[in-house]
Amino acid sequence: MGNSMPWGPNLPDPRKPPTFDPMYGFQNGRKERVMIATEEEMRMAGVPMEHRDFCAHLFIKWLKCRRDTFPQGSKCKHEKHEHEYCKFEDLVLRMKEYEREKRLLARAERKRKKMARRPKEALEE
Amino acid sequence: MASLRRLELCSRLIKPFLTKSRSVSTSRIFLAEWNKDWKPGPYPKTPEERAAAAKKYNLLPQDYEPFPDDGLGKGDYPNLPIVSEEARDPYENWDMPEYRRNYMEPMHLYQDMTTEDKWNPNAQIPFSYPTMVLTLVGVLTVSFVLFYLTDKYMPIHQYAMSRQYPYNNLYYLKGGQPSQAVPEIKCYTFEPAEK
Repeated sequence: MGNSMPWGPNLPDPRKPPTFDPMYGFQNGRKERVMIATEEEMRMAGVPMEHRDFCAHLFIKWLKCRRDTFPQGSKCKHEKHEHEYCKFEDLVLRMKEYEREKRLLARAERKRKKMARRPKEALEE
Repeated sequence: MASLRRLELCSRLIKPFLTKSRSVSTSRIFLAEWNKDWKPGPYPKTPEERAAAAKKYNLLPQDYEPFPDDGLGKGDYPNLPIVSEEARDPYENWDMPEYRRNYMEPMHLYQDMTTEDKWNPNAQIPFSYPTMVLTLVGVLTVSFVLFYLTDKYMPIHQYAMSRQYPYNNLYYLKGGQPSQAVPEIKCYTFEPAEK
């Protein structure tokens, strides 16, 4: 599952959100993530804390299907897969954020070294 | 004919379990919880009584030494040195090789504790028990300390940033108060914004 221990001085901390400006390098800006389920809906459906993310509406659908077809939970394969696919896409997005953070950290390190070597030229650039 | 005899034997074996009778046992001992013959005699006080008790337990009088008369009911039973079955010589010609015991040999009081699959008090261990316990505790301690430190400072994870949550990272759900300033946290995709 891609588990590893990439820890180092110039590697991003996977327990924290990105530290750089999210709009840096995007000339046309970025689309904001859309949240469909409201806080009220999530509370009424009793969604667990870890599932109150951007896939919560699919999770609520899956819960509803399971409630309606109980005890035949296997009839909710479609809903379950939809939710899991949404979670997978969320993971892919966060992996992209990780890669962006990693490259920006490396760039900051390069700039710092250049500044230490030739401060005047670096400032002119 | 042999098969018929086998059948009869089988039926005789199975019948007691069906009819709840105890006729399968060949000895009357199993019908009783306790037998008066199993009780040791009273604690020997005079040398004559000691000699009689030693003869009763097939011991020489100089080898016979009863348990102290402390009121626990051991009576005249001999206090024998404990030798577990595992410590006995397996190549000796025992009368009962499965118990490594000779016929009419006096039995230790706790002989049932020292059968071959149980406790062996005569075992020759390579290290002392405190050394073994300290080694175990040391290895476990080092392992748990290493696990704790690595799990705290460099846990195994995926190549991904932390999870993103809506509504300002679930501000109100995590105990945020509306009176304070709500920190605005936005999550973005990698698609360009529509104009």
